[in-house]
Amino acid sequence: MKGSQIALLASLALFAFYTIRLRSTAMDRLTYLGLACAGVVLIVYPEWTNTLARMLGIGRGADLMFYFFIVFCLFHFATTASTMRRMQRDLTTLAQHVALDDGGVQRGG
Amino acid sequence: MSVASQEAVTSDALAATVIVVPAFREVTIVAQVVTSLRQLGWQVLVVDDGSPDSTAASAAAAGATVLRHPVNLGQGAALRTGFAWALAQPTCKYVVTFDADGQHDTGAVATLIAPIAAGEADVVLGSRFLDPVTRAEVPPLRRLLLRAATWVSRTTTGLALTDSHNGLRAFSADALRRLRLEQDRMAHASEIQAEIARCGLRCVERPVHVRYTEYSIAKGQRFVDAISILWDLLLTPRRSRS
Repeated sequence: MKGSQIALLASLALFAFYTIRLRSTAMDRLTYLGLACAGVVLIVYPEWTNTLARMLGIGRGADLMFYFFIVFCLFHFATTASTMRRMQRDLTTLAQHVALDDGGVQRGG
Repeated sequence: MSVASQEAVTSDALAATVIVVPAFREVTIVAQVVTSLRQLGWQVLVVDDGSPDSTAASAAAAGATVLRHPVNLGQGAALRTGFAWALAQPTCKYVVTFDADGQHDTGAVATLIAPIAAGEADVVLGSRFLDPVTRAEVPPLRRLLLRAATWVSRTTTGLALTDSHNGLRAFSADALRRLRLEQDRMAHASEIQAEIARCGLRCVERPVHVRYTEYSIAKGQRFVDAISILWDLLLTPRRSRS
């Protein structure tokens, strides 16, 4: 296993940890903003991807972008999942209040 | 057995107990469960977890008080709704959870409340593995799954329990108020045990018979559910932490 592979695996693990435990809405937005800026820079200077890739010991810039894309997807899944979790929690609270406000009116026997 | 233990139940205990029955798509059997509990004099609250069928109407007709989730949320959420209602009743001293699928003996409710009424425990959990008859009847795969779940619970909570996912439990109202429960789905069973341990409640087990009918096995948990439970436990940040 190459050093860059280990570094990539470690960064994935770190990213997973970040998305599950460390993140906040502000951090997420900063990350999105940073990614957008990086995207603009790389469009203007496409050859930088190759330079960066070689620095990391990855062959081509296209490969680096692909790895990057995967990590970004993971990040996006995680933020979406977290939003859905929050919505589920709110839905639970809401539905429970609806149930309780009906107050057990449906009573037979 | 049910008759003998039932005789010991005072009218006081009957009035002070709310039996919470979470139900989802149990229309074929919920009325039978409610009727047999009502016949013994218990107050029954069925929380219909957004069933598309007439579970709620069926339970109400059988004499239960019924709360209804407008959408399906999960058994853990249904129990919490039931707990909130029960604890709001001024007379409530004991809360019992009871499965809607007919697997539990109605006579066991009195057995479970007894240690709390006697001041010996705050929480009483039913265990199928302490009941010699059920012990022999548990299907092999189910046994393996439950053993694994029990082992996980024991290691994480430190409670020396023999059955981690039994739907039959009794709480004193005061003990129940202290538990911080957040799991909507099946992971609530493990969460309840973790909370019992966190609050340092006095917890004992009592043998309960579990009827493995074709119906209750079909409605029961499967191997894949164990994975969902682990997922919920590990990946759902607790409200207090987030």
